[in-house]
Amino acid sequence: MKKVVVHPERCVGCMQCMLACATTHSQSKSLLSALQEKPRPTSRVHVGVGLYMEGFPNRCRHCDPAPCMLACLPGAIFRDPVTDTVLVDYDRCINCASCAMACPYGVIRYHEDYLAPPGKTVAIKCDNCVERQAHGMIPACVEICQVGALTFEDPAVALKRKTDEVARTVSVGAEAREVPGSDTFSLLNALKREQKAVNIR
Amino acid sequence: MGETAEAIDLEHRVVTTDRGGSFPFDRLLVASGSDPRAVEGEGMGLDGVFFMRTEAHVRGMLERLPEVKHALVLGGGLVGFKAAYGLLHRGISVTMLIRSGYPLAMQVDAGAGDLIRQELERKGLLLRLGAEVSAFEGGNGDRAGRVARAHLSDGTTLDCDLAVIGKGVVPTMGFLPPEIVTHAGVSVDEHLETSVPGIYAAGDVAESVDVSRQKRWVNAVWPVAVEQGRVAGMNMAGRPVKYPGSLSRNVIRIYDLDVLTAGIVNPDETDEYDVYVAGDPRRNRYRKLVLRDGVLVGAVLVGGVEQGGVLMALINNQRRLDGPIDAYLDPSFNFGQVIA
Repeated sequence: MKKVVVHPERCVGCMQCMLACATTHSQSKSLLSALQEKPRPTSRVHVGVGLYMEGFPNRCRHCDPAPCMLACLPGAIFRDPVTDTVLVDYDRCINCASCAMACPYGVIRYHEDYLAPPGKTVAIKCDNCVERQAHGMIPACVEICQVGALTFEDPAVALKRKTDEVARTVSVGAEAREVPGSDTFSLLNALKREQKAVNIR
Repeated sequence: MGETAEAIDLEHRVVTTDRGGSFPFDRLLVASGSDPRAVEGEGMGLDGVFFMRTEAHVRGMLERLPEVKHALVLGGGLVGFKAAYGLLHRGISVTMLIRSGYPLAMQVDAGAGDLIRQELERKGLLLRLGAEVSAFEGGNGDRAGRVARAHLSDGTTLDCDLAVIGKGVVPTMGFLPPEIVTHAGVSVDEHLETSVPGIYAAGDVAESVDVSRQKRWVNAVWPVAVEQGRVAGMNMAGRPVKYPGSLSRNVIRIYDLDVLTAGIVNPDETDEYDVYVAGDPRRNRYRKLVLRDGVLVGAVLVGGVEQGGVLMALINNQRRLDGPIDAYLDPSFNFGQVIA
């Protein structure tokens, strides 16, 4: 099953995913009209600042077992088995913030939503764009991401690709990737070549 | 359903109930929970004096409400707060008696307690600090048997036609045989098994180890009960799973204030702990982190509680915090800063 895979090392912190997410979770599905909506739609993916000022796209991992689901007193948080997505039933949510205590990633927010009963503050989190997926579209954050920090693919495929990438950089005879203008890369590659030579001996 | 366990026969491994039922078992889970802590004094049985523990208690309170003008809440804990909040919402004047110097003393530190006190007083709650009820007095004539007045430990009296007792809970252990070792709760090992093989305990009744305090402790809160229930179930089904220990935690929304606490929030004044505090009282924001040997063991958040779970995970994982602690106190703190 395809999932949203985050590649934090690629994130440049442009926050386009946040705009796209808020827009797709608006009534009008259009950025300009979304700004006028009440309640104002918000993003469920949160680009935070890391320790070295790097961007970090933080979104719900739809954990299994999900700590938020176990902590939810009224049983408002449930898993949609078709898309393997952890969702919130806004009618059942009592805004107690027990899920805020449980979520180890800090990706749940509390505010009104046009899909919730009017005037009611509820727990809001990533829904994997289940509505878009039902119409054959990929999640909005992935669609907008220009740098490949968010991809929509089978996690097993993504893991295999990453493993291959790592393996290739150390495999004997493989051409090291040269990045024009990057002395650091050249230095790194020189080191790797030496390392290989040592290993072969 | 509807039967209460009264005794456990360890020799024949049978549980007997109040209705004469007997239930044989191979493995048994004690999940009897806790009862509200009683208050000593005269008149506690008067009509209109309530605990707030069961649906029946609350239904009883609701029936009384139309004739209630002034309510008294005993205890400044979470139950007391929920009761006071609900009563104030219905336009009833509420006086809360708190034995300690500030509200939620078991959950928060003085800094957060003060913010909470101010917020509640703004909303019309009357607070009496350092006072306890020594006795309740009934009314006269047709109001006999109904609570009308409370005598306080400081010698004063207060009129009230409803009283809610929220002085905490005590584990329900009266029906257990002496072979099952109990202290503050039923003692369990790392597999949540009691001193009697095959008998497990979980939830408010169980005394396991507190992760932040590193000592035996009862954390009588819902999420801990859920954790323990799962782990006990797996062990009882024959799959050995270790329970790393529980963590005290609470989150409460008091009008416009969100308060989240975890672990040790009021460390004793020793060199063992390092305490970091930040916040902006005008914006009702307050943050406190308690560290021991560079490891986070406690947190208090007022306002902006969304990242509380990240801090809880750090406490549970007992990992030394990297980098400057200021980053963890900043409102912009997020998960990206703990994976560097």
